[in-house]
Amino acid sequence: MAFPREIYQALEDIVGKRNISENIGICETYRSIPSQSSAHYGPSEHWTPLPQAVVLPGSTEEVQNVIRICNKYGIEFKASTTFWATMGYIGSDFAIQIDTRRMKSVKIDAKNMCAVVEPFAIAATVQAEVMKYGLNINIPGVGCSSSTLANFSSWIAFGPNSISMGQGSENVLGMEWVLPNGEVLRTGSLGAGEGWFCGEGPGPSLRGILRGIFGAAGSLGVCTKMAVRLHPWPGPADFPTYGTVPAYKADFGPNFKCYTLCFPTWEAWARSVQYFHESDVAYSGHRQFNMFGRNLKGAMLNIITDADKQLSDLEELVNDPYIQKENEKMKLDYQVIIAGFSERDMEYKEKAIDYILEQTGGWKSEMMLEKDKHDYALLYLTRLGHKNLNFVMCGAYEGTFGLSSNVWKTIQVVEEAVALKRKWEVEHDSIAATGGDSAMGSLSGIGGGGATGWEFFTNFDAYDKNSVHGTAKFVDGNQEFHNKYSFGPDFCRWNSDVRHMNGYNYTQEEHNQMFANAPQPWVYAYQYKIREAINPKNLCGTYFRTVDPKCLEK
Amino acid sequence: MALQDYRAMMERCSTCAGCKFIPFDKIKSLRFAENCPSIGYYNFMTYSARGRFQLSQSLLDGRAQLDDTVTEAIHTCTSCGYCDVGCKVTRYNLEPLEHNIELKAYAVENGKVLEGQKPVIENLKKEHSMIPGAKKANRTDWAKELNLKDLFKDKAEVAFFAGCKYSYDPKLQKMAQSAVKLLQSAGVDLGYLGAADNCCAGRAHQMGFFNEFKERAEANIKAFETAGVKIIVTPCSDCYHAFKRQYAKLGLNIKVLHVVEYVDQLIQEGKIKFTKEVPLTVTYHDPCHLGRLGEDYVPWDGKEKKIYNQIQIWEPRRPRYNGAYGIYDAPRNILKAIPGIKLVEMERIREYSWCCGAGAGCNESNPEFSAWTASERITEANATGADALVTACPWCKDNFVNAVDENGNKIEVLDIIELVRQAI
Ligand SMILES: Cc1cc2nc3c(=O)[nH]c(=O)nc-3n(C[C@H](O)[C@H](O)[C@H](O)COP(=O)(O)OP(=O)(O)OC[C@H]3O[C@@H](n4cnc5c(N)ncnc54)[C@H](O)[C@@H]3O)c2cc1C
Ligand code: SF4
Ligand code: SF4
Repeated sequence: MAFPREIYQALEDIVGKRNISENIGICETYRSIPSQSSAHYGPSEHWTPLPQAVVLPGSTEEVQNVIRICNKYGIEFKASTTFWATMGYIGSDFAIQIDTRRMKSVKIDAKNMCAVVEPFAIAATVQAEVMKYGLNINIPGVGCSSSTLANFSSWIAFGPNSISMGQGSENVLGMEWVLPNGEVLRTGSLGAGEGWFCGEGPGPSLRGILRGIFGAAGSLGVCTKMAVRLHPWPGPADFPTYGTVPAYKADFGPNFKCYTLCFPTWEAWARSVQYFHESDVAYSGHRQFNMFGRNLKGAMLNIITDADKQLSDLEELVNDPYIQKENEKMKLDYQVIIAGFSERDMEYKEKAIDYILEQTGGWKSEMMLEKDKHDYALLYLTRLGHKNLNFVMCGAYEGTFGLSSNVWKTIQVVEEAVALKRKWEVEHDSIAATGGDSAMGSLSGIGGGGATGWEFFTNFDAYDKNSVHGTAKFVDGNQEFHNKYSFGPDFCRWNSDVRHMNGYNYTQEEHNQMFANAPQPWVYAYQYKIREAINPKNLCGTYFRTVDPKCLEK
Repeated sequence: MALQDYRAMMERCSTCAGCKFIPFDKIKSLRFAENCPSIGYYNFMTYSARGRFQLSQSLLDGRAQLDDTVTEAIHTCTSCGYCDVGCKVTRYNLEPLEHNIELKAYAVENGKVLEGQKPVIENLKKEHSMIPGAKKANRTDWAKELNLKDLFKDKAEVAFFAGCKYSYDPKLQKMAQSAVKLLQSAGVDLGYLGAADNCCAGRAHQMGFFNEFKERAEANIKAFETAGVKIIVTPCSDCYHAFKRQYAKLGLNIKVLHVVEYVDQLIQEGKIKFTKEVPLTVTYHDPCHLGRLGEDYVPWDGKEKKIYNQIQIWEPRRPRYNGAYGIYDAPRNILKAIPGIKLVEMERIREYSWCCGAGAGCNESNPEFSAWTASERITEANATGADALVTACPWCKDNFVNAVDENGNKIEVLDIIELVRQAI
């Protein structure tokens, strides 16, 4: 559908000529494509729809005026920041894409330990600024290239630091939202004119509505500013990096240590995790490098920590006897970082780790204590600046299975999932054969500890259609495993009920049918009411799962 | 390669934003976190390396057209190569810079060029210089008083290649003269190509004008070979890159040095000695074509292979140009050796240095964009508190001299050879 001139003119009048485009070539670069695969749809060949225009507002007021135009003409809009995830793209033909690139300020209130960030302030920049004050932020597992505000306003936002800093919902303080009806809403203490420091009040406490635990993925308007919690950082004011690109490393001094802890059985593994959940010893905890797979991780670690190595060296390294031995020792592992706020604190944390290992029969990986590996892993997990390594092996991947649950539940089924994946790796060539177990994720997806947040890295080639289709079949097969244990949808299909595989939104009728029969359907009816209140024209896509209550009343 | 040959890369790009920021591990502030001047100025995703990959797919599939807006987007890339470094922090199988230039060549092949590019290319064809208005007859005027050997009449080990900017720009000519005098006083047996001295056309390559580049390059290679040159030394970073990387691909087999490498070597050998103090705090700008794009060319003829079902590798192992081994230390060694000089670093340096804005002819075709890019660098230089910004490329120097920072302040811009000459 052609965009009427009056609409384009109205939008251009708001943002200025330089900040809007309807050129097809420009708009084509705002479509999500299959290689952006960690989108929780499963591998597919879709491109999301072509926006009618791309708009780059520069202020809350401009966002508000753009949304008013969308309301007037019934245009779908979706805000996005880095565009890494498919959830940030529009889902219909009569829609505009809001690119928030021009809004990226970071203001720090060190005394109240919070920072007010705009959408395009990526986590690396927020962290760099707050470190100067001896503070840190939670960077979710997606990495520091993504937006702090997008993560905290609109998705789960768990990662290595969640064990000490919590996930997205635990880090949000005052917020400023432009609701889809064009009104500006200020939440928490901000709503009472008392500043940004508190998410719950005095003032309207709408954290649960606007983001809940999961986040509404851009379906409830545009968050233009957000205050986020800052956490103590006992490290340097900036990273003392060394090493040759791309194998950057850093030594933070004697009060930081990054260990790869290894265990003889999953039971011992789980007990150790439980100790960390109970002891508050870990600054960060993640099963990170297992994303390269049980068979390949030792070799991959030797590639990524050495500036002169590359994937062509992989086979040789996999067959290296030393690496094989070290790899075998790291079979059931994870990484933890301990940070000492004083010498005694560090001593205590070191002792606590030794105690945990003693109790569980675990050990520290020696290879990962070699200085270059140690300093690489420490920097990697603290800044999370190499997250695109997720894609390094094949150019695309999906997280499958999931197993984000209580650790004792997870370990009962993990080897069954491993065997299923390994079987597919051996019998088909659509996914990379990395050793079955490629489970990676947080030691805890929530603050303090309690639940792991895992996914199995399933690497495929977005350019090779056989690989794409074969991977989709693999995921479909996994659903039986999930059904058997009532785990819900496979991790990689989490979003398949909010966007069609062809990239388009669901209709309300389709959602009514899907969610009327879901467990706890009144949750979706409640969400329907929320949407009716703040997004009556349903203008931001269908990531907010709703059912018309009338369908339940029948 | 043709644009179509980059299809796998286009589809394997993961939209990770690595091509828009300096390596994330290196970020020290919000202000100087970004790289890629093109998206920095124009803001739309299209202008980043990721956007360019996606635009190519749409063009090849017939959805997007080479209209004026798209043509402008394709050409407003300084070919600075940062995206390549940023991408390769995590990826081993994508070549964003090569692809950006191939996309430009695709536009050129289809007759889609910018108005500002036309006089540059026309002058290259007619007068063998990429400086509009420059005449072949005046090319060697700068060298008249220098007692430089004409290598077609006389023999010398080393050929000095000034490049268009130093040859024609009256403000810069004395820098080329200084460099020659410096090398001569250190005992270097120096000559030049005389009447056969012509534009290297490296900038034409970076603009996507492959035919024009090739024609010049082949003629120049022949001239160097006929003159029996053993070493080419140039003070221009663009020429350096052209010879070292692009000419090498076409078969040039002569050692290439930037003047900073030579001077660094001569200082270490004790052939250049400093006698005077230069009391100055300076910051150094790494020219893109000397730094991250200054790595040695390594011939490779191979193909992709998959291992472990889907893991993509190159067979044989492919050279990886990611800026790791560019020329960064030589200029810094020189500055550190000059008595009185204090070197303070900017945040974006070495392989992740910010571009001056003059690359790939953008200073001619898109002067506002080019000036903004330079201004960003002046702001960064002024943030260090340095008295002067030092560089080793005439294009950078020229672009910086006219630029002001975000507060309207200037900074003194010096060529590194000027400082060396002041100290002896
Ligand atoms: C490779 C990969 C790995 C991931 N790993 C993890 C992980 O370990 N842990 C985790 O919790 N998540 C993970 N995710 C999900 C990720 O955290 C989210 O996709 C994240 O928000 C991406 O950040 P972004 O800056 O790219 O946001 P975008 O893609 O720009 O946006 C993300 C969502 O936020 C919405 N949004 C953006 N800006 C605004 C705004 N101003 N107002 C309202 N809504 C807005 C968008 O519409 C979109 O739905 C991963 C995603 C990818 C692609
Ligand atoms: S070469 Fe430079 S200007 Fe061009 S896209 Fe890459 S980073 Fe941007
Ligand atoms: S850095 Fe490379 S993989 Fe990432 S978006 Fe840019 S071109 Fe794509």
